[in-house]
Amino acid sequence: MDLSWSKAQIEYKKKVIEFAEQNLNNSISERDHVLEFSREDWNKCAKFGIQGLASPKKYGGHEDDIDILTATLAMEGLGYGCRDNGLPFSLNAQMWTVQLPIAQFGNAFQKEKYLKPLASGEWIGSHGLTEANAGSDIFNMETTATKVDGGYLLNGSKRLITLGPICDMVLVFAKTNPKLGKWGVSGFIVESNSKGFKRSANKSKMGLRTVPIGDLEFKDCFVPEENRLGKEGAGWSITIASLEYDRCNILASQLGAMEYQLEDTIKFVKGRKQFGQSIGGFQSISNRIADMKLRLETSRLLLYKVAWLKSQGKSAMMEAALLKLHLSESFISSSLDAIRCHGGSGYLTEFEVERNLRDAVGGVIYAGTSDIQRNIISQILGL
Amino acid sequence: MEQVILKYINEQLLFDNEMEEDLDSDTDLLGSGILDSLGMVQLIAFVEKEFMVKVPPEDMVIENFMNVDSVCAYLLSK
Repeated sequence: MDLSWSKAQIEYKKKVIEFAEQNLNNSISERDHVLEFSREDWNKCAKFGIQGLASPKKYGGHEDDIDILTATLAMEGLGYGCRDNGLPFSLNAQMWTVQLPIAQFGNAFQKEKYLKPLASGEWIGSHGLTEANAGSDIFNMETTATKVDGGYLLNGSKRLITLGPICDMVLVFAKTNPKLGKWGVSGFIVESNSKGFKRSANKSKMGLRTVPIGDLEFKDCFVPEENRLGKEGAGWSITIASLEYDRCNILASQLGAMEYQLEDTIKFVKGRKQFGQSIGGFQSISNRIADMKLRLETSRLLLYKVAWLKSQGKSAMMEAALLKLHLSESFISSSLDAIRCHGGSGYLTEFEVERNLRDAVGGVIYAGTSDIQRNIISQILGL
Repeated sequence: MEQVILKYINEQLLFDNEMEEDLDSDTDLLGSGILDSLGMVQLIAFVEKEFMVKVPPEDMVIENFMNVDSVCAYLLSK
């Protein structure tokens, strides 16, 4: 494993941090309170080139092929510089579960039509997989796609869809042949103006409140054959292929947030004086800081290993599960430690410390719960 | 090739799976639920390493991985 970064990659990360700090940290607390997504910030990111990290150059990206190592470092930088955890979360959701599958499985027509507007920020894309009765058991989905003349009729509903309430298009998965089990699932690109397609309103939630999340409904929604992604039955492959990339980059931004959180907490405990000295001098505080540092660095090593394996085109099942489990749980633990170190101020929303804890909780649920990650790890270990 | 893959599935992926009949080279692996998603991904990783091939995402389809016969045919075509 080679964890050395090129000068260009490090420089790019610095630019992303600078861009985020200067452009993306406006009225987050207020928007968090009222569940407001910032389309303006989304567009700023697109203009800077964030969404382009998940598209080939021909379709609005930076490189001929998607460069996972550079993207991971850049998304870490975005998480460090942007105090709104919801924005990197939503960007990553589109980039790795919509753009990447289209880049990998799409034909030239689909890439031209969808990747360019997604990379430019003109369009927002969501990934429709989860259902009310298909969460961890995802391929037990009930949404169907019935073959008709010239395309398919989609029927069913999707739940907890990131960016769903405001998406311009959705990559949705449905059963085309239930008899084939997991091989009978296909992916379809559905535009939001399609007849029979309905988006719910934004749902209120504990954290990541600046990201619209909601349900999608398909009622005899006609999708032309040209909008099927990959072959009929490729749904399983599409989902599996994007999983490790998604886990890698969503967590990269969390890692960046954890690094900023640590620095901010150290700054606070050095400045805060009680009993005549900085509270950082008390072991009950400094030990917490040491634990936060350990979680940060162990998470970083796991993250970079997954990114490196994917850059080599290798499978990273075990490593991605270890990463997802460790980093997401670490972010919760460190967010709680940060609040404890800040004392009463950490508990107040206006100090913008407690928000990380609320945002972190989602991380142990989305993209495979911590329990599922433990199952993956133990299954690979032969248990 | 066929025996190597069957042996791997039997010994590494089905160690605790009480199947009514022996695994055959034409048994549907993923569709029938003999392997779960993780098991299939493990199988793909195994054939990549064992037979020194790269399986791109778009090749992970029923035509190539439905059963051991189709895996062998796919590998021979590489």
